[in-house]
Amino acid sequence: MQFKSQAVAKPYFIAAIGLFVGQILFGLILGLQYVLGDFLFPAIPFNVARMVHTNLLIVWLLFGFMGGAYYMIPEESETELFSPKLALAMFWIFLVAGALTIVGYLAVPYATLAELTGNNILETMGREFLEQPLPTKLGIVVVALAFLFNITLTVLKGKKTSISIVLLLGLWGLAVFFLFSFYNPVNVVLDKFFWWWTVHLWVEGVWELILGSFLAFVLIKTTGVDREVIEKWLYVIVTLTLITGIIGTGHHYFWIGTPEYWQWWGSIFSALEPIPFFAMTVFAFNMVNRRRREHPNKAAVLWALGTGVMAFLGAGVWGFLHTLAPVNYYTHGTQITAAHGHMAFYGAYAMVNLMMISYAMPILRGRAANSNKSQVLEMWSFWLMTVAIVFITLFLTAAGILQVWLQRVSDAPLPFMVAQDKIALFYWMREWAGVAFLIGLIVYIASFFVGGDEKEAA
Amino acid sequence: MELLKNPAHRAWIILMIATVVTWYLGEVGAAGTTSIIAMLLIAFVKGRLVILDFMELREAPRMWRILLEGWLILVSSLILLAYWISLT
Amino acid sequence: MINTQAVPAPETPSGRRLPGDLAIWFFILAEMLAFAVFFAAYAFARAKNVEMFNTYQHTLDRNLGALNTFLLITGSWFVVLAVQAAHKDNRPAIARNLLLGWLCGGGFLVVKVIEYAAKFGAGISMSTNTFYMFYISLTFFHFMHVILGMVILTILWVQARKGVYGSHDAHGLESGAAYWHMVDLLWIVLFPLVYVMR
Repeated sequence: MQFKSQAVAKPYFIAAIGLFVGQILFGLILGLQYVLGDFLFPAIPFNVARMVHTNLLIVWLLFGFMGGAYYMIPEESETELFSPKLALAMFWIFLVAGALTIVGYLAVPYATLAELTGNNILETMGREFLEQPLPTKLGIVVVALAFLFNITLTVLKGKKTSISIVLLLGLWGLAVFFLFSFYNPVNVVLDKFFWWWTVHLWVEGVWELILGSFLAFVLIKTTGVDREVIEKWLYVIVTLTLITGIIGTGHHYFWIGTPEYWQWWGSIFSALEPIPFFAMTVFAFNMVNRRRREHPNKAAVLWALGTGVMAFLGAGVWGFLHTLAPVNYYTHGTQITAAHGHMAFYGAYAMVNLMMISYAMPILRGRAANSNKSQVLEMWSFWLMTVAIVFITLFLTAAGILQVWLQRVSDAPLPFMVAQDKIALFYWMREWAGVAFLIGLIVYIASFFVGGDEKEAA
Repeated sequence: MELLKNPAHRAWIILMIATVVTWYLGEVGAAGTTSIIAMLLIAFVKGRLVILDFMELREAPRMWRILLEGWLILVSSLILLAYWISLT
Repeated sequence: MINTQAVPAPETPSGRRLPGDLAIWFFILAEMLAFAVFFAAYAFARAKNVEMFNTYQHTLDRNLGALNTFLLITGSWFVVLAVQAAHKDNRPAIARNLLLGWLCGGGFLVVKVIEYAAKFGAGISMSTNTFYMFYISLTFFHFMHVILGMVILTILWVQARKGVYGSHDAHGLESGAAYWHMVDLLWIVLFPLVYVMR
């Protein structure tokens, strides 16, 4: 590696992968609970398993983003990190706080946890994805501020490239929009309205900037294409993301009590949200085709191409399927949403983190790329996980279509639980696809421990 | 007439006249199929002048001309289709 | 706009050349696509409520709409003259024409605000009915683009005053000009659609 301080990324990447495993295990428990309702009850009820599954996802992605930023920023700025010590301290604080939160979720009932952690002082808990107790939320703010301070000062003292500016924009946006998790008005319409400012503006706004800049960085490194060309694309992607994503928030405002014009605004702008993802796919393939050298790390290039395609399919196509108000009227909150969520998160954010880890980890371990044997194994894991998520998505889509039909469209609509029973077959198939995903993840981890002839040291 | 050699000046004059025509059609309360087609045609001619003489795409790679003129055709056709539906 | 023109625009073998930066054209296309969807949504929503749309279209001020068309077209024309001046290395004319173009944009905004004041003063809002929802949404969305276009013109004007543009380099100027013409192009469709066609 070029700068000693880039090494702080390593623990972040390891923690990210560890938490990823946890997320998948809870996903499997959860998937089973869809068909065997009392599985592990009362030890791990459905609502707790779901909370742990989604919270672990967010936390591991954040670990990945931070690790990626710590790796990338010194190299882009051509200077050592402002304070590697602060970065390491924040790593431990974040990890311990995250672990304690999960233990809290599992050890005591949620209501007790809320009481113990001072939810009565400032009521922020009990909302999907933002379930974290107040101390954890404050901890996230502290860690995020220290992280941003560290990264921003590094950029300020070094070279300012477009890629690092876009990353900073994304990371600052991430921190600013998280502040809305502290705002919990009594009026449920307002509550939901601003809740989306964190949730939507993260995943369909500022996170896409982080995704874009990571992708641009790895493509520059692996293809040797001119920085000017890559930056030009990055600008286009960023502006497209912001135009469509910000007003696209409206696709969450169809039925929550907000004025009717949101049905038009939300439909029109979010219908265009696939465009930036499509641009990303074209970008990745275009750059790889124009490559000026053969980088020894083939696996990282595969992840880069994969994240373009899968983000477009999952976030773009599957998002578009149910984003128009007349369609969403029927599909709102069904398994269609779950299908979209799984493929979009994997395709856009899990894969971009895996791409960064795949590119950076060998270098952090003192070689340009892993051995051929190890890379072959990693590519196997790529295909296993990706194909598994495609099947999870297809099964959930089928379940969703059936659910919409039985429960909402049909002349004699069935009650929710009766409809759920009728689609159990798809839940079983989804569960098996989930097992395949776990196997893929195990293969991925195994690829780190496979030796063989190492490529020339970096 | 030396001035008219500049395509931008020519375009400006035609655009001005065309705008007056559209405005006049509004003033006399023109409605129905003929006036809709007339207004869409005027908008198409105006848009094309902006694309070719203002944006200077006349000498640009063909793809870009097709993309922008195609946009005009697409938008006009969609509007025409919707108005035609409303008449039947 | 951000400067992305480190490399000069590639000349195609046939001598055909895209004025300005490739990135700005992608951006323009995306913007035009957004408006295309909005225009189509208006037309199809109208098809379901022809009478309501026709009734309330009468309340719009066509004279102000036409005046605004004049202003935008003339503003665009001045900016074309600025680009032509750059190719002829007539430095003072670049800045002067950009300023005139900017003033036309400013005039557009003033007229639009007068129009809005009358409508909002009458208690009309996006929730009044579907026609007004579209009228306000479309014109306001376009209004924001005029403002962005004027910000771009301001940057171009400052650069032109510094003598950045000339026959050797008009890349940035052409990029900004292309965006400004797009604002004009969108209004050329918007005005007949929302104010006149029935």
